[in-house]
Amino acid sequence: MDKDRAEEIATAEGLTKLDEKQLAQLTQSVASARELAGKLPKDLHWSEEIALVFRLPTPEDTGR
Amino acid sequence: MTDLAFLGIADAAEMIRARKLSPVEYTQALLDRTARLDNRYHAYIRLTPDIATAAARQAESEIVAGRWKGPLHGIPFALKDIIDAAGLPTTAHSKVLIDNVAAADAPVAARLKAVGGIMMGKLATHEFAIGGPSFDLPWPPAVNPWGGRHFPGGSSSGSGVALAAGMVPAALGTDTGGSVRNPASMCGITGLKPTYGRVSRRGVLPLAYSLDHVGPMTRTVRDNALLLQVLAGHDPEDPGSADVAVPDYSADLDRGVKGLKLGLVRHFYTADMQAHPEQAQAIERAAEILRELGAEVREIRLEPLEDYAACTRLIIRCEAYAIHRRWLAERPGDYGELARQRILDGAAVSAADYIDALRMRARLTRRTLEAFAGIDAGLTVSNMDPTFPIEDAEASLRAYPRQARQPFNVTGQPAIAIPAGFTKDGLPLSLQLIGHPFQEAMVYRIAQAYERATAWTERHPPGL
Repeated sequence: MDKDRAEEIATAEGLTKLDEKQLAQLTQSVASARELAGKLPKDLHWSEEIALVFRLPTPEDTGR
Repeated sequence: MTDLAFLGIADAAEMIRARKLSPVEYTQALLDRTARLDNRYHAYIRLTPDIATAAARQAESEIVAGRWKGPLHGIPFALKDIIDAAGLPTTAHSKVLIDNVAAADAPVAARLKAVGGIMMGKLATHEFAIGGPSFDLPWPPAVNPWGGRHFPGGSSSGSGVALAAGMVPAALGTDTGGSVRNPASMCGITGLKPTYGRVSRRGVLPLAYSLDHVGPMTRTVRDNALLLQVLAGHDPEDPGSADVAVPDYSADLDRGVKGLKLGLVRHFYTADMQAHPEQAQAIERAAEILRELGAEVREIRLEPLEDYAACTRLIIRCEAYAIHRRWLAERPGDYGELARQRILDGAAVSAADYIDALRMRARLTRRTLEAFAGIDAGLTVSNMDPTFPIEDAEASLRAYPRQARQPFNVTGQPAIAIPAGFTKDGLPLSLQLIGHPFQEAMVYRIAQAYERATAWTERHPPGL
């Protein structure tokens, strides 16, 4: 199952040069991603926004 | 005669200013030492003796002419090889970037050169700051001078090794999930992850944009403060850079800890994970010492360690994969196995899970800063375990997640790892101190009080 998903991802992502061993790594990644997703909080409210890094320059920054 | 190998920045600066130490002789002594030792420790990917010698001659002539520029003038430093130095390859220790010559200095390198620092070369790293230790790369992994043939931590592995082996008094590392503090802990040196945005990341190959930090690595706290003084400051061309005034990081170093309130995060190493007994004892003893010095130490609770770890891992995987996806599509075989696995992991994470990890980050940060509200700084472990033989792949995989540094990559708070003693087998133990955002000076003040009370930094690896 994870192997099928890994093959789907490889095709969608253009990772067509992965050999068997590298595809096995991607299969492992599928299982690991599922495990990590299970650790995300289940009670995030829509008002809880992402932590931002991106910020537009303010008029103070640009001196305008 | 002064031992130039383990001379610190502060002491060397005083001697250079008083013209009791020649930058040319100092640089040559460290170049000679590195040439003698580095076939054993592999700290450097590229030593640059010609560049170093020319810079040292220039520094010497400026100082002789009365134009001393400050404490870094004539002081050798080296860069983790994901940081650009004009005209030199930035390889990230990878075959993928083996011919990637930097067009310009990263601002952190330019700042060090501008104050008269002597660039000695580029240091080993875990591949792309995420793999490692790896034996399938164009260069061997750096080896810890403590222990027989032990893991130095990473990913700023060469930085930790070069400092511990007395090859250089100052080095730069980077820290996305703990990569300055890990080698600091395992090599018995001092490494600071500054506040997110405090030091420019421009010209530094990214691992994960929203978690990357550049940090100073030295053997002592005082030296670390001197190095950060040069590195800190706003860079309008780095989108994560913060426009916050830079204080004098050395001004309060010797004020002691009397009356300070410190929060001991004990659940990280006794409940969330079980630290190696000698490492746990070292933290408990550090808390006692800080109490004896006049601090009030009480236990605080943060969120469970595994929540910070899951958040960090999801963000790193996704951002790293976005950076590497084209190279991975074209040249998957040019990556080492470990880096390829860890970066490929990001291909399997959904966009919604990445967004939720970023939302989780905001929640964890808010709750952590709330827990810090009544204290001046926190203390806890950095690593759960001391170092281990570098060829022991099983130990390496086991140790990789056993750490308490990621919480402060998530929150962006400043955090320092400093020596906290040795195991009965003579391997370094460490202590992590954490401050409020942009309060590196407070972190240094506490670290300095502890360092002075313990003198662990006076020990060097056997035989060196």
